[in-house]
Amino acid sequence: MKKQLLVAAVLAATAALQAQAGALDDGNLSISGFGTLGVAKSNTDDVKFARYNQADGVGDSARLGLDTNLGLQATYKINDWLSGTAQVLTRKATEHNFGTDLTWAFLKARINDEVAVRVGRVVVPTFLISDYQNVGYANTMMRPPIEMYGQAPIENSDGADINYQHAIGDLNVTAQAFAGVSRGKLFVSSGAGSTASYRAPAAGFSVAGEYGPFLLRFAHARADMKINDIQPINALTTTLSSAGFNQLASDITFTTGKKIAFTSIGGTMDWNNVVGQAEYAQRRAKDKVYLPDTNAWYAMIGYRFGNVLPYYAHASAKGAGSSVTAPAALAKVPPLNAAVGNLLAASEQTSDIVGVRWDFAKSLALKVQVDRIKPGAKSGELINVPAAGYNKNVTVVAAGLDFVF
Amino acid sequence: MKKLLSALVLSAIAAAAVPASAAEIVVIVSKQNPATRMFSEQASQFFLGKSNLFTPVDQADGSAIRNEFYHKVADKDAAQVKALWSKLVFTGKATPPKEYPNSAEVKKAVAADPKAIGYIDKSAVDDTVKVILTLP
Repeated sequence: MKKQLLVAAVLAATAALQAQAGALDDGNLSISGFGTLGVAKSNTDDVKFARYNQADGVGDSARLGLDTNLGLQATYKINDWLSGTAQVLTRKATEHNFGTDLTWAFLKARINDEVAVRVGRVVVPTFLISDYQNVGYANTMMRPPIEMYGQAPIENSDGADINYQHAIGDLNVTAQAFAGVSRGKLFVSSGAGSTASYRAPAAGFSVAGEYGPFLLRFAHARADMKINDIQPINALTTTLSSAGFNQLASDITFTTGKKIAFTSIGGTMDWNNVVGQAEYAQRRAKDKVYLPDTNAWYAMIGYRFGNVLPYYAHASAKGAGSSVTAPAALAKVPPLNAAVGNLLAASEQTSDIVGVRWDFAKSLALKVQVDRIKPGAKSGELINVPAAGYNKNVTVVAAGLDFVF
Repeated sequence: MKKLLSALVLSAIAAAAVPASAAEIVVIVSKQNPATRMFSEQASQFFLGKSNLFTPVDQADGSAIRNEFYHKVADKDAAQVKALWSKLVFTGKATPPKEYPNSAEVKKAVAADPKAIGYIDKSAVDDTVKVILTLP
């Protein structure tokens, strides 16, 4: 029943928008959209598998919430050089039901044929596909590998960015730099789950070179994350302070604002029907904070047989140390020592992913994907894990219909 | 569900069965445009959102000439081109080319804009536009 309702709602929204676009269209307004109708289940109810920052995961019964989303975008061309764009995205994120966020909202000024400046809300291009990770139709895989995309908590920032595009012979160079303030919610998976709000001045840049079917991209971003309400962490730091470990408490906490850096190198190719995508990234704390340093990578390879594209990918997330060192005296308080030790360790996980994308009709793609998740330290990226942790492999099967209009 | 599936299968078969037309396609610009010749790789840049130096003018989505054009200049089918444009559109990087229903309308739009670039059936060429590339 719920599913039918959702399908009906999506169809109705699409039809209504197209009708409205037709009525409003004076040639300068364009309305477009994208979405995925996806269903997924895993082979166990002991833990849940979720996308990054999703409060509800999937277990042993089919659920729509993992991959289903709907994005609507309107662009109004004010004149030859100025336009405005807004995009809203409906999906299941940090709440237990579908919610809608304003993901993009900017004025764009084309300075010349090679430079454009945007002011407003833009999605932060931390990693290779960060800014189009929700557009299923634009991606080969069903969803961004969580090992990589779970490293960066920041989605969009309110500020400005500049985009530069220049051809050097057959090499197309694009560069982007942004600065702004990011605000958002984080799903804190420990215990019964809770949400926290962050505020983070952030800035970064990316440079990409595209040569025929090959693209290589480098990006670096920094954010000064301030989070006041991560309950489990605040409870721990309060306890640490009252036990006399004031320095450790102030090292661990996010309440005072801590700098985090993200560096990534990635590439895509689409060469003679061979489709590839790979990326490596590091997350590093630049101030002392509990959030562990991590290294992650994934690689995907596929082959296009006409409009059918089977693919395989492997993804991995590993810890790379901690910026915080617990004082020796903490060892005298075993429960606190254990809690801090666990907090400072990174969750580790690898996945093997096989799937197929079938472009069966105009603007529609059908995907089926199977993820085999091997949780390592701290039950990997799985959520709703038992107190003792979880280290058994989990299989997630998903099917989805991606559309654009 | 079964009906949906058979509809999907049927539409896929129908899509696969559309024969490619054998007409010659020419890439055109306005008479005021200083360009005289162009390679197909260069022409594809404008239609794939990789350069803003020229303003691309497209044929109707799903038309035989459009499918053939993208196949010839970029070796991409309609779905690949659409996936590529959805990356650009939904990240606010670019807006897709304006579409016109036939070669005559494309020609008119190209003739009216010194920065425009379009492609039409060779038989539709007249002296209002300049041919800079012929795709056999």
